[in-house]
Amino acid sequence: MSGISVQGLAKRFGARTAVEGLDFDVRPGEVFGLLGPNGAGKTTTVRMLTGLLQPSAGEARVWGHSVRTDGEALRRVVGLLTEQPGLYERLSARDNLRFFMKLHELDERQVWPRARSYLERFGLAGRENDPCGGFSKGMRQKLAIVRTLVHDPKVIFLDEPTSGLDPESARTVRDAVAELAAEGRTIVLCSHNLAEVERLCTRVAVVKGRLLAMAPVNELRRTGSALEVKVEGEAERYVQALSALPFAPNVLAEGARLRVMLADEAQAPDVVACLVGAGARVRSAVPAQRPLEEVYLELIREGRV
Amino acid sequence: MAFRSRRALAVFWKDFLDLRRNPVLLLGMAALPLVLVVVPIIVVWTYVRDPNDSNLRVIALYYDPTLPLNANAGRFLVERTLLDWFGMFLVMPVFVPILISSQSVAGEKERRTLEPLLASPVTAMELVAGKSLASLVPALIITWMAFVLLCVGVDVVAWPLGQGPMLPNTLWLFGILVLAPLFAFFGNGVAVLISARVAEARTAQQIAALIVLPLVGLVAGQVAGFLHAGPVYYAVQGGVVLLLDVALLWASVRLLDRERLISRWG
Repeated sequence: MSGISVQGLAKRFGARTAVEGLDFDVRPGEVFGLLGPNGAGKTTTVRMLTGLLQPSAGEARVWGHSVRTDGEALRRVVGLLTEQPGLYERLSARDNLRFFMKLHELDERQVWPRARSYLERFGLAGRENDPCGGFSKGMRQKLAIVRTLVHDPKVIFLDEPTSGLDPESARTVRDAVAELAAEGRTIVLCSHNLAEVERLCTRVAVVKGRLLAMAPVNELRRTGSALEVKVEGEAERYVQALSALPFAPNVLAEGARLRVMLADEAQAPDVVACLVGAGARVRSAVPAQRPLEEVYLELIREGRV
Repeated sequence: MAFRSRRALAVFWKDFLDLRRNPVLLLGMAALPLVLVVVPIIVVWTYVRDPNDSNLRVIALYYDPTLPLNANAGRFLVERTLLDWFGMFLVMPVFVPILISSQSVAGEKERRTLEPLLASPVTAMELVAGKSLASLVPALIITWMAFVLLCVGVDVVAWPLGQGPMLPNTLWLFGILVLAPLFAFFGNGVAVLISARVAEARTAQQIAALIVLPLVGLVAGQVAGFLHAGPVYYAVQGGVVLLLDVALLWASVRLLDRERLISRWG
């Protein structure tokens, strides 16, 4: 398939295992979040998928190219935005882009209109001939994004793409990412900004040396079985009744809403029955979506070795 | 993996552009050639100023006790100076590439530009070729320009003694056209090798610059009379450096391997 296909991928540096047993697929047109704490192996994974590091075990194909044997062909179809912009500061923005066009053996006259449209979009038009050393952090980040896209990659790896950007620029970048995905490109997003991941990604994988979880964002937010119950009147008055349940759920009340944390989804009918028994008029009871941050932290805690 | 000259030239173009906009490095590159051109001209001038000075004969006899009585001691010393300085002049094509290559490889690590560069289709061989070219071309241009200035300076100053141009002579032409490129390649190879293994350009420069010491030692031995430097001596030196160049090229391509660079400094 196109996109990314990873099977049993592992990387060891001497005796230290950075990642092992990674299995996942990313489809064309999908924005896939790769989450994990610092040192979890995200960067190592991205480096293997961009042909910078050879896997110690397993195999991965990126847009049909094996990371083990087709390094050069693979790097032609891949765009990588690293955590640091990594620009040549004495060179102008245009020369930075021109250099990467040449490395990809592209004709500048054909590619420049595309680069220029990105520069305009990111507010860098008119600064093409200025040395990058004089750019602000946000401008450098935006230029690095343009550099990542200049050769029209099919698979794009973005490490903290909105780092250092003002809210308006961050939104422009997010819109651009969504458009790139809509054009059928495969996008892997590494970020600690979970709100951004929630907005952009269709699926996420949480790694910490190994794969801890992988699911669509909405599904992941439902894990842990929380129930959101809407009652008539103040919900606060039913908290005590719920605490008397044998499994003593953790309950949060806010206005007419109760958020009940359950160990098991099967406990939901008991909660509703308890509320009705306590005289509550229940308007709705639906599985609650937890913030991705909460789910993520729980997974990382559980995955602690 | 096919070698694409376009990509190697792209690396050369970028490094050359970067060098042109680095005034500190350009100043450092100009300092040594200036010294290597001005010093011998001044020395020659002191010999030419008063060729009948009896002290000149004493110095000349130290170098060659068989110097005939009717020989011009001033002219002898000028020729001797130019022969000795030839070895010293060859330090330039070694040193200038060290300054440039240390910046270009270790500098990529320092500025965090290495990873985006290695994520492009460029191969290790193309990277070595492009970076080497970006260091060899300026080094040879500087060496040749300095040589032209030296020839003009020495000939103008020594004209009364020689009644004709003393430079260029066959040895110097051999040195500048054959040995200088070999030496420049050597300096570049050492700097690439070292800067692929250290984290900072300055460290790479300092370590790589140590290779100049044996060369200076050879010149010192020559001046002190321990070594007889002539065409055969320099031909042998050229042969040895050529072998070292081949070994350095092989090692550089191996060391500029993506995996090694990224896992160490990425």
